[in-house]
Amino acid sequence: MKLSLQQSIYSFTLSSCLFFIVLVISILWSIQVVNVALERERYANKVENHANILQQFISIENIYASDFNTDSWLALDRKFNELLELTPSLTPQQQTIQNSIVSQNKNVLRLFNAINKNKLINADEKIKTHLKVRLITQLEAIKADSIQLFNTVQVDINNVIRQQLILVLSILSLTLFILVYGAFKLVKIFRTSLKEVKFAFAKNRSGNFQKIQLSNKSEEFESIANAFNDMNTELSETTVSLESMTKIVEERTKVLEQLSNTDPLTNVGNRRSLFERGNAEFARVQRTKSQFTIILLDCDFFKDVNDQFGHSCGDEVLKCICKICSEEIRNIDFFARYGGEEFIILLPDSELSGAVKTAERIQDSLANNCLLFEGKDIRVTISIGICMVNNKHTSFEDVIKDADLAMYRAKENGRNRIEVMDDDSPDEEATDDTSLDTAISDNNISY
Amino acid sequence: MIVGVGVCYFYLQQAWSQDKYPITIAVSKTPLSTPFYIAKAIDAFDQTCVTVEYDEVMGGHAAFEKVMSGNVDFGTSSDSVIAFQSLTAQSFVTHAMFVQSDNDVKLITRATDNIESTLDLKGKRIGVTKGTASEYILSTLLAIEGLTIEDVELHDYKPEQLQQGFSHDEVDAILPWEPFAFQARQLLQNKVKIHDTKSLSTLSFNLISQTADSLLVEKAECVIQGLRIAIDYIASNPEESKKIVIDQLNVDPAFIEWVWSDYIFKLSLNNSLILNIKSQAIWAKGAQIGGLKSVQNSESFIDSRALSKVDPGSVNLTL
Repeated sequence: MKLSLQQSIYSFTLSSCLFFIVLVISILWSIQVVNVALERERYANKVENHANILQQFISIENIYASDFNTDSWLALDRKFNELLELTPSLTPQQQTIQNSIVSQNKNVLRLFNAINKNKLINADEKIKTHLKVRLITQLEAIKADSIQLFNTVQVDINNVIRQQLILVLSILSLTLFILVYGAFKLVKIFRTSLKEVKFAFAKNRSGNFQKIQLSNKSEEFESIANAFNDMNTELSETTVSLESMTKIVEERTKVLEQLSNTDPLTNVGNRRSLFERGNAEFARVQRTKSQFTIILLDCDFFKDVNDQFGHSCGDEVLKCICKICSEEIRNIDFFARYGGEEFIILLPDSELSGAVKTAERIQDSLANNCLLFEGKDIRVTISIGICMVNNKHTSFEDVIKDADLAMYRAKENGRNRIEVMDDDSPDEEATDDTSLDTAISDNNISY
Repeated sequence: MIVGVGVCYFYLQQAWSQDKYPITIAVSKTPLSTPFYIAKAIDAFDQTCVTVEYDEVMGGHAAFEKVMSGNVDFGTSSDSVIAFQSLTAQSFVTHAMFVQSDNDVKLITRATDNIESTLDLKGKRIGVTKGTASEYILSTLLAIEGLTIEDVELHDYKPEQLQQGFSHDEVDAILPWEPFAFQARQLLQNKVKIHDTKSLSTLSFNLISQTADSLLVEKAECVIQGLRIAIDYIASNPEESKKIVIDQLNVDPAFIEWVWSDYIFKLSLNNSLILNIKSQAIWAKGAQIGGLKSVQNSESFIDSRALSKVDPGSVNLTL
């Protein structure tokens, strides 16, 4: 039978009351039983005392004397009879002794009356003594019986007290055991169920929609568990977990970051990413005193390509340049579109010679791979300006500026050339041919 | 494991039963021996250290003689037998009194003789069993009325022949004890008158043995334990007890009903018993019943060690 928690508590309380009542009844019963035993003891004591008085009376007084106080003795014996009639309830064994006392007392009275009738006028002293002794013997028998009754009652009291004590203690122990067991059981149901509910809440918070599994069945906790489980089912259907949400956000962020750093036409780094990376590299160079070179490329006569073959063709030309550049640079290099038909390659830990070689490979590759657009071979050249970071540069923009100057010089010097801006190169004022170390046209490099 | 425990229990039982003392008790075949018959019927001795066999005899005298001859370990004897024997050179002891009756010996006269009181017995022929409670009660009855044995014509009969002598008109009155008083009443019905002789004597039946060593006391203790169980049973189940006695003695149920109310079954050793025995012994000596020595101290014929161990509350000896 499944009981609700409320019913369990009611049952527990009722049981407690019931056990308490049983305990009280057993104590009252024990008191009653002990009282009966004590009453028997008092009775036995009275009988013994009275028997003593009767015996003393006969022993001391001369029963055959004419002035013997017969009335007093008879009054005493009458009292004794009255006492014997007020017998408390006795055990069968005690009743046997009581019967003996009653019977002996009748004999005493009968013998006393027989003696007293004519005071044994004709009897000799021997017979008189003999009958007096007989009377005393009878009284002695009563006394002995009353002592035996008293002793039996004493033993009975001890047994009764011991039995009742055992009874009360047994009931008390049983009551305590059952109450403690009941209390533990209730506490266990509460504690376990609350723990299981708490556990389910904790799991819920972390996005793990777990059902409450109750190990102790109780109506109240089951209703809570059912409500919680229903709520969980609905939540799990409508809520995206935090984990999956984070993953989505990370993926989107990555895409957005890529989009914000990529040129949409050429799919290479855009101006924003160029400056981000360039500033970082420049800062690193400042810190580590390492080498850092940049290459600035500009497509020659790009406007003419646009005008002659259309912007689509121009776009394809740019994509082609990007493809070639991307193939020719190192893994650690960074390639980005600077603007229009201008591109920049960042070469960390690279000297000028290395940058020149890279620039030459790009020019060569571009020369050997013409673009086929709508059935026509499109050939383009690029002018390249190279600049290595030096002490004069205070920012990445300065480096670009110098590379730009070198590139313009290449333009001025006939395009499809590589121009290098070295440490000693003058500022904008010194842009004539002599200020440049080297200029290469048609595979000539000027330093 | 259960079989093992069972086997152990069986052997322990065997060992226990081997420790039991086999004893024989001469039991007088009378309802006064009821506790012994009950003990046997309810197996009360099984819980004690003795295995008991009964040697049924007729009367306390026979039981006493069996004890003294060494044929039996214990016997059941009346206080009058003890009183008379205490005056002889016999060494015996009483371990416990287990029943008493104050109405065992009865005065029976003919209804037609109109004997109303003891005074009317003067000059009459009276049948008694000499040297027993029968003679003792007659002398007491006479003494109360100022008469003596010389005032009557005394005829000595064996107990079982009293009623015959009365029927044959050899005597005018008899003083038989049970069951002969009952038999006379049954036989002669309303032709007899039974006089009230209560209070003049107390008959008790006692467990006796030869003077006891510690082993015999130990055996007596076990016998008394069995008697105690039986006496408790009698107190709690009087009707069942009567049935057992009727079956065991094969007597008329009316006889048991006749005597039962006079019997008080209880274990005791008290001053009253000693006084009673002494009183009867003094009387016997006074009556010059042949070859008697002086009345002994009670210590010589009372041994309270066994009863004190079984039921100390029932021992009350100060004399």
